Amino acid sequence: MKIIACYSNKGGVGKTATSVNLAYALAQGGRRVLLCDLDPQGASGFYFRVKPSKKLTEARFFEDVARFTKAIRGSDFDNLDILPANMTFRDFDVFLARMRNSRSRLKKALKAVKGDYDVILLDCPPNISTLSENVFRASDAIVVPVIPTTLSQRTFEQLKEFFREHDLPVKKLHGFFSMAQGVKSLHGDTMDEMRREHGKRLLKSAIPFTSDVERMGVHRAPVMVSAPSSTASTAYGALHDELVARVFGK
Amino acid sequence: MTPEDLPLYLLPEAGPEGLTDAVSGGMVAALSWQEGAAPFLVRDTFDQELRTSGRMLIATEGRSELLQPGGAPLCQAGGTAARFVADFPEGPVKAALSDLSPLRCLLPVGAGALRRGTLALLDDEQKTQARAVLLELDATDGGRATVLQLQGLRGYDKALARLRRMIEAAGGSALDDDALYSQLFPGLDAYSPKPVVPLDRYTEAFDAASDIIAAYLPVARANEAGVIADDDTEFLHDYRIALRKIRSVLSLFKDVYEPELTAELKTRFSALMVPTGRLRDLDVYLLERDAFYGMVPDSLHAGLDRMFALFAEERKEAQKALSGHLRSAGYRKEITALIKLFDKRKKLAQGKRADLPAYDFACKLIWKRYRKICAIAEGIDAGTPDHEVHELRIHCKKLRYLMEFFTPLFPAGPFKRLIKPLKKLQDNLGLFNDYSVQQESLQEFLGRLEGGTPGNLQVAQSVGALVLVLHERQLAERARVVDSFAAFNSDETRQTFRDLFHGGKE
Repeated sequence: MKIIACYSNKGGVGKTATSVNLAYALAQGGRRVLLCDLDPQGASGFYFRVKPSKKLTEARFFEDVARFTKAIRGSDFDNLDILPANMTFRDFDVFLARMRNSRSRLKKALKAVKGDYDVILLDCPPNISTLSENVFRASDAIVVPVIPTTLSQRTFEQLKEFFREHDLPVKKLHGFFSMAQGVKSLHGDTMDEMRREHGKRLLKSAIPFTSDVERMGVHRAPVMVSAPSSTASTAYGALHDELVARVFGK
Repeated sequence: MTPEDLPLYLLPEAGPEGLTDAVSGGMVAALSWQEGAAPFLVRDTFDQELRTSGRMLIATEGRSELLQPGGAPLCQAGGTAARFVADFPEGPVKAALSDLSPLRCLLPVGAGALRRGTLALLDDEQKTQARAVLLELDATDGGRATVLQLQGLRGYDKALARLRRMIEAAGGSALDDDALYSQLFPGLDAYSPKPVVPLDRYTEAFDAASDIIAAYLPVARANEAGVIADDDTEFLHDYRIALRKIRSVLSLFKDVYEPELTAELKTRFSALMVPTGRLRDLDVYLLERDAFYGMVPDSLHAGLDRMFALFAEERKEAQKALSGHLRSAGYRKEITALIKLFDKRKKLAQGKRADLPAYDFACKLIWKRYRKICAIAEGIDAGTPDHEVHELRIHCKKLRYLMEFFTPLFPAGPFKRLIKPLKKLQDNLGLFNDYSVQQESLQEFLGRLEGGTPGNLQVAQSVGALVLVLHERQLAERARVVDSFAAFNSDETRQTFRDLFHGGKE
């Protein structure tokens, strides 16, 4: 099982759109996926029309395995389940550690309901302090959308710095250009510069800025479902393939 | 997540259309069909192993799908043209078919067009909370049936229960009986190679005998087409068993018919058997091919290759001859005449024990046969000549037939307890006989081989080695007979025989 976190320390960069489409693409590829909506401002659950779970309080959530498995909701798509938002995730790293431990009660409970996952995808809140750095530690990969602007360039550098300071392997970071606009020369220049500077820490795939992605809120479905032949969908497909090759190996 | 395995439902003939009207708990049911229909073919073995086990094998669009009670349908690529289960590519369907007889081929049951659909229960945000996958089968010369599989989504148990209630309220029934076949292929006859003939204690012996014969004649007839088409070797096997059962009724049910009639019928049924013998022998050789190769060292395999090539060639001829015979006017006339004879029964002259009640008759016959077996078996030791062992085998076989014919007249439990050890004894005696018959016929085959033909010396060497091994095996089986009989004829067995067939007396 692999844990992939989708994270950005800057809002409005297409992080949730990435989580939603990546989760969908992974499930379509035959992997059993649990998408955890950890971002209270995010809306990955909203895009799958899953209502937030109100009954769960954090304390009981982690004490009670049955409650956890009950909180998971099946999406409309095969192999893809959602853990809806509306909880505080202070001890989320404890949860992840339990998911890793095949003998934990949590893992056994999931296996019992045929709910063992190949991938846990985390749609993380945009603030490192809210989400413990331990989540980074627990993850196999951290996918970071970067808008090719000077400001985003700086935040990506800050993130790398944070990793170094906290003794986290920088190799886990997989940045990619999001909302990229080919016509803007600034975008082009920034992308060239960042690729030179960060090398392998940036994926080759880039997600273009398109209205199809923006309309996801209207369709309430991954763009790969509502506009499967759009350039955005093709780009998410390529991003998925590249990431799978990196995380799962060829 | 992967939908939980839930039972399949068969919808009433109206299909799922009415279900969408039912709105419940703020949810809407939405029905959608995929574009277009695909041709499908349903196949089964001739003795309907799939049908009788509640399963349906569907070939469509290059895939094999297996509907089964109490679980999700299985699906795998390929296998649509596989004649035998062994010919399927590896996959979940092949694995699930492993209980079918490896000797039986899959034959078309019916064809038609299918389409797939989905019935979804949506909430106020258009989120699917429960779903059912639909398979609508429209048979070309038959009826229409819609099979539905519930698929739960994790965390929406209530919606699933609601959808289930909706489907059950609309007349959906769990797919666990013959309803799908009878709805889809209403003209499909049930077939069993072992028809159950209803008897009671007071059925007259004449009627019992005639009923059994009348039940087995159609079994023989039903297998003719498969023998002619050479679909698989079981057709001929079952054809012969049916005729053999009839012949055993004629010889075992003494004095039910007039002696002259009995003799005449025996001759006529024997005549039906004669043309089938050689083909069956060759079938057995070819089916046992691997076992024969295992009996001799590799160096002698070349001779076996040649021998089996000769057998295969001869089989081709024998099959052609038999299928010609079965299609001949003479054969058809004879078999229809026999069917008519046992159907009308006016021309069946009754013998002196014709009106004996079946129960008394059965007790007498079974007890007598059992006593005979004991008498022979008690005299058997290491020095007893083979022909006496053969005789024991034949009496055991007759006892078994008698017991099978009269099964409905006796309590099931004790009866089963007798059949089981009897079967074991028969297995032993059967192998003893097979090894002996095979030696004889291989030697006969050797006698027919032309010495001058190149390669035949090799064949002769291999056959010689085979005969040697068969002889050894026969001796080993022979050595087991005394023990097998002792195991069969325990104190308990003896008491049960006395209780059931001789009023508890010695």
